[in-house]
Amino acid sequence: MKHSFLDQYSDRDSPIHRLDPRTKLVASLAFILIVVLIPIVNWQAFVIYLSLIVALLIISKLPPLYVLKRSLVIFPFVLMIAIFIPFFKSGEIAGSYNIWLWRVSISYDGLLILANVVSKAWLCILSLILLSSTTKFTELLKGLKRLGMPRMIVLILSFMYRYIFVLVDEVMRMRQARDSRNFGGARLRQLKTIGNMIGTLFIRSYERGERIYAAMLARGFDGEVRSLQRLNFKKADACFGIAFGLALASPAILLLF
Amino acid sequence: MHIPDGFISAPVAVTGCVVAAGCVAYAVKATNKKMGEKQVPLMGVLAAFIFAAQMLNFPIAGGTSGHLIGAALAAILLGPWAGMLIMTCVLVVQCLVFQDGGLLALGANIVNMGIIATFISYYVYRGGAFLSGGQKKRILVSGGLAAWLSVVVAAVACVFELVISGTVPLGVALPAMGGIHALIGIAEGAITAGVLSLIMATRADLLSLAK
Repeated sequence: MKHSFLDQYSDRDSPIHRLDPRTKLVASLAFILIVVLIPIVNWQAFVIYLSLIVALLIISKLPPLYVLKRSLVIFPFVLMIAIFIPFFKSGEIAGSYNIWLWRVSISYDGLLILANVVSKAWLCILSLILLSSTTKFTELLKGLKRLGMPRMIVLILSFMYRYIFVLVDEVMRMRQARDSRNFGGARLRQLKTIGNMIGTLFIRSYERGERIYAAMLARGFDGEVRSLQRLNFKKADACFGIAFGLALASPAILLLF
Repeated sequence: MHIPDGFISAPVAVTGCVVAAGCVAYAVKATNKKMGEKQVPLMGVLAAFIFAAQMLNFPIAGGTSGHLIGAALAAILLGPWAGMLIMTCVLVVQCLVFQDGGLLALGANIVNMGIIATFISYYVYRGGAFLSGGQKKRILVSGGLAAWLSVVVAAVACVFELVISGTVPLGVALPAMGGIHALIGIAEGAITAGVLSLIMATRADLLSLAK
């Protein structure tokens, strides 16, 4: 198996890794919601939140370079927004440039939107990286189930997670076989090859699903999956929750005084 | 097309979550009725299949590459409700494991790629297959068309969410995003038609799963 890229770092050990997944899920969701709600003009709040996230990333002992690289996922979206910025016509003009035939003028309103979106998106993605790199996926699923996600979805997700590794292996083998047979040529031909590969993969996956179901039936599956592990909400979770809540509320408190 | 957090406003994101939760809850019921306890292993493996299929990149232009989204494929092969369930699971894993798409924005992403895309493509394909008179070529064309449309419609829905949030201006973003995805969608359509053609030739019985 060559897919270490799935679920990296989530089996390490740190105070953050040891927290209950529910604590982390609720904290992340609250963090993201508040970051999205705060207007960018309160930039002090963003500085506080950034330092909060950076502190947690340091405590969790995640490699900084890995976190930075991961956070670049939002880059294509940022680029797309940036392209549309000059088209916001309202507001004072910050500067205008001649690019070949077009006259492009950029307004402060447009720049504000870009700053707003980029800073919010970056904070949110950092918190999401923190969540998913410190919690095993199976733990996350347990947390989601206890937080009210439908049982069926959680079961399907846990199966999906198991078989992702198997099917990703399968795809990698198929790709290797394809590449060793001189893959290339006209674009339509390439797409046809990929279509055939995905079709084969579908048939194999479907048949695998049926075999798995038969094997489960043979072992007495009745629609219920029982697990021995229980989640437990510890004192550390309560402390973390209170501290995190205070940190989230701190910009509002600072504004009051 | 996976919207990260921060790009759409809180009201839009929360609305997306509510709509997605309602639809998915119904989809669970609908597929459970159809396949019973077989639902769990089959949906799980097929969601993993869509995930794995997305790893096969193809070159687009200027050094960039794209991959299959798979919403249309899932809907055509397994029906709109099962397709919705599969795409929801794929999007949840992409969000929680790869940070592809935000946590609060997950609802909006499910609405775009899991609900709108699957339903549009399923009914376009059904309609096309109905009018085809059983001719293989016409069925394949309607499958390809459905997949192309699913990409364009999902992109348009994404633009509208961004416009309502005040992130992009409608007048420029709609034609730009629509146009780009109309091009990307061609590959999705061609691959989907290729997959259908292979399944028709080898396991035609699997094509009646959606009914």
